[in-house]
Amino acid sequence: MRQNVLMSVVLGISVMAAHAQDKLVMDGSTTVGPIAKAFAETYMRQNPGVNITVSESGSGNGAKALLNGTCDIANLSRHLKESEKKAMSEKGVRPVAHVVAFDALPVIVHPSNRVKGLTLDQIRDIYTGKITNWKEVGGGDQRIVVISRDTNSGTFETFKELVLGNDSKIVASAEYTGSNGGVRQRVQMTKGAIGYAGPGFVDRSVKALEVNGVVPSAESVIAKQYPISRELFMFTNGEPAADSLAAKLLGMSRSEKGREIIEEIGYVPVPEK
Amino acid sequence: MLLSPGARLRRRLAELAGRGVLCGVTSVAALAVLAIIFFIAGDAVPFFKQTGASEFFLSPEWYPAHQPPRFGAAAIFAGSALVTAAAVLLAVPLGLFAALCMSDVLPFGVRQILKPVIEMLAAIPSVVYGFFALTVVAPLMQNAGSWLPGQFEIASGVNALTASLILGVMALPTIVSVSEDALQAAGRELREGSYALGATRAETLFKVVIPASVSGLFSAVLLGVMRAMGETMVVWMASGNAAQIPQPWYNLLQPVRTLTATIAGDMGEADQMTGSAHYHVLFAMGLCLLLVSFACNLAGEWIVARQRKRLRGG
Amino acid sequence: MRLKLRKLMDHALTAGGYLAIGGMALFLLWVLVPVFSKGFGAYVFRGTVEHQRMMLGEFGRGDLDRLRAELAEVWRAREPVYQAVAAFERELDAMPAARRKALKPAFREVREGVSVLLGPEPGVPLPALTRRLYGQTRWEKAREKADDILFEETWEYSDAGSRRVLVPRAPQFEGTALAPVFTCLERDLAAMLRPRITVYPRFLTDRSIDAHFFGGIGPEVLGTLYLSLGAMLVAVPLGIVAAVYFQEYAKEGPGVAFLRSCVNTLAGVPSVVFGLFGLAFFINTLRVSPGKSVLAGALTLALLVLPTVIRASEEAIAAVPRAFKEGAMALGAGRFRTVATVILPAALPGILTGIVISMGRAAGETAPIIFTAAVSIGQMVNPSEVLSQPTPALSWNLYNLCTEHEAVEELRHVQFGMAATLVLIVLALNLAAILLRARVARRLKG
Repeated sequence: MRQNVLMSVVLGISVMAAHAQDKLVMDGSTTVGPIAKAFAETYMRQNPGVNITVSESGSGNGAKALLNGTCDIANLSRHLKESEKKAMSEKGVRPVAHVVAFDALPVIVHPSNRVKGLTLDQIRDIYTGKITNWKEVGGGDQRIVVISRDTNSGTFETFKELVLGNDSKIVASAEYTGSNGGVRQRVQMTKGAIGYAGPGFVDRSVKALEVNGVVPSAESVIAKQYPISRELFMFTNGEPAADSLAAKLLGMSRSEKGREIIEEIGYVPVPEK
Repeated sequence: MLLSPGARLRRRLAELAGRGVLCGVTSVAALAVLAIIFFIAGDAVPFFKQTGASEFFLSPEWYPAHQPPRFGAAAIFAGSALVTAAAVLLAVPLGLFAALCMSDVLPFGVRQILKPVIEMLAAIPSVVYGFFALTVVAPLMQNAGSWLPGQFEIASGVNALTASLILGVMALPTIVSVSEDALQAAGRELREGSYALGATRAETLFKVVIPASVSGLFSAVLLGVMRAMGETMVVWMASGNAAQIPQPWYNLLQPVRTLTATIAGDMGEADQMTGSAHYHVLFAMGLCLLLVSFACNLAGEWIVARQRKRLRGG
Repeated sequence: MRLKLRKLMDHALTAGGYLAIGGMALFLLWVLVPVFSKGFGAYVFRGTVEHQRMMLGEFGRGDLDRLRAELAEVWRAREPVYQAVAAFERELDAMPAARRKALKPAFREVREGVSVLLGPEPGVPLPALTRRLYGQTRWEKAREKADDILFEETWEYSDAGSRRVLVPRAPQFEGTALAPVFTCLERDLAAMLRPRITVYPRFLTDRSIDAHFFGGIGPEVLGTLYLSLGAMLVAVPLGIVAAVYFQEYAKEGPGVAFLRSCVNTLAGVPSVVFGLFGLAFFINTLRVSPGKSVLAGALTLALLVLPTVIRASEEAIAAVPRAFKEGAMALGAGRFRTVATVILPAALPGILTGIVISMGRAAGETAPIIFTAAVSIGQMVNPSEVLSQPTPALSWNLYNLCTEHEAVEELRHVQFGMAATLVLIVLALNLAAILLRARVARRLKG
């Protein structure tokens, strides 16, 4: 009798202890956000009792959260900056990058805009303010409304690196929004707008342009033809233990189901080697 | 009930201790504001030491992520000022008329019903106003460009005008209730004296009552200004967030960026460990906001004190 | 003559006043009516059989047998559509390459549209995202999706501007195996989805499924409740003590004037600065929690509402007639006993009014919780975890859902539902405060 009680107490404690472990905090990019949210939901469905929270406050905030230890997985749509790497090494944080998906960054305009495609140079000129009216690039007579992501964003960093070049400054009249969804919404609402947002956010309410004649798609990303493509990352502090919650979540990006999710959302899953 | 000296001493001590505890707790509550100043200033000063104040206040080039970064917040200050001024310009006449109507024109019963209605207008959360501005007002504003006469090219539905309109509505209830209280405080005798001399209601209100309550009305305006200036969600969602000074400066149809929206939107980049200037500049903006609201508070208190002195006949 | 002018001005003033009041009332209606009517649509709407399937599949609610019988009929109505799609796929493979290239993209869109409208085809492996497991659960959205299949949206570009044109897809596929899809969709959509009035009161308490595509706003409502209650738990004791001190114990002098000044200043601090302070002080310096949490958010909100609580309590205490205090002291009660047993109970309704209004304010604030408490996805937080877990909240998630989300247009009903719920909570609290205040006024009048 006593042994039974002891057993149940021990079991109870171990269950509670195990319970105490089942928490995961993810923070970071709004581009990777939909993937993170879908993974979290799928995992929580299959494993009740686990609590995974996802914040989408921007790649910069994700890196900072990993640095301060306030998240377990940081979602980033760009590489870590030098300053972030330095800060992490000073604090003893060892960031490990896991590529979760590939992403072709579409340049989007309002569907009523008759421009079908632009060259990389034209996009740069539009964003730096050299071109201000759509008629200069083959559209109608309409002022171009430039929409960009705020400086907190990995998407912005990618765009800056691949399109603008590090020297150019975005024109002062550019409007900034805090998320991919925000860019999509602005472009959808504004006839003269141009913006860039993750492919998971491009639906029929906006039109994706060809860049340098290449249509953004899974094939053109894998073939490295689309000029504005990038990797999407999830960073952890050190390599997670093989059976930990973090490892399982990261492993989903390579699993059959995870690949389907990534595709359904609109990104390009890591090709099976 | 007489107490022994010992018991009386104990009671005195207990009372002193009680007062001390209460004072202590109250001080904690009150000193919160000092803590806020301390922390905000503490994180803002490094920016001024690192980068200096002249670029921050005078240059309109806001490129915090550029290499090298530019922290010229003049355009953002201009944006805040423009949106606040426009909101107040909209809300003050409207609010004043509404307050006049409520205090002197409407029957008492209607006024009793109206006061809670105005409080409800004030209670609606700002994010719901922002949601409304984004889903209803911005598309309307965009399409308005097509049926308004020629020169108004409204390229973007989210601009300073949209934000100012909503901010004005948000500041209205504050202005109306405080103005109405001030108008009421002028007193019946004043009004009756004026009517006895043959003045119409309009003349009484404009020539007698308003001058008598001008300090209360000024407080109302100040409170409205503070409300409009400190608002975050509406401007973040509906002002366009473009760090530019509109051309010309009074062109409300262009997107602008305010201090509050910049803080809310850019905070993610902040990296405390590397002491990045971007983190500190946001606190510098917070400090400016704090200082302006302090100034408004002080102005308000000075006006109240002056009014009190005047009433006392000093 | 002058009299006429003066009278005119008088009437103008009256008219102006009524206009201003009328304008304010109209604006209030303009904001609230859509919020409430569309928000109501989140709770009561025309739902389809897919909604019932989803309820059964995700929440285990519903009558399995009745649903099965209904589904049998529904599948019968849908069969021609699915068969047509499958048949056309075979036909497509047999086509000459040029025609296949022309029709394939359109066919893909049609097939995708059918899957989004009716749910995945039978026999096909189930998609991974929950949102794709079921068809459209709301009838008006189903109609939209059906139109998306029947018509293709193209734009006619000309020098005069662009025009949106809806081109019917049916002619493109005339004579092929796909043709029945269009006729069936036009004719039998109701039979395929069986719309009926659905009442979903648990929208308020259900967790959300797949980033709010299905399910309700329970975690957000709970989060808002936690945050506002937590804020009041901290602010109320502090506020009442401070009010008692100011009214009963403090001797007017420079020190007390300074403290009062501080409280007034706290009232003027912008809400985003509170958020900054909460992040810098509670999370980064004091480390009350290892990151965002309900605790940090509640503490920040408490600071925000503290001046209101102090002011309302002070007014309530000041309004208690002196006779009460003097009577108690005449009976020999010490100051503390007077305050605790006589003054505070008499001032209680007024204090409660202030508390209730502050709670409404705390529930509606967004800026202070952006960096201290709010997340976009999370389970409902257990009471045992509030000290360290972040939480969704109505105010912030409304912002998130209407700007940052990946499918903003699909979830309009959820956004309006959140807005309506939040406004209702705040207005109910304010109404309670107004009623309380009326009771206080009546009681004090004697």
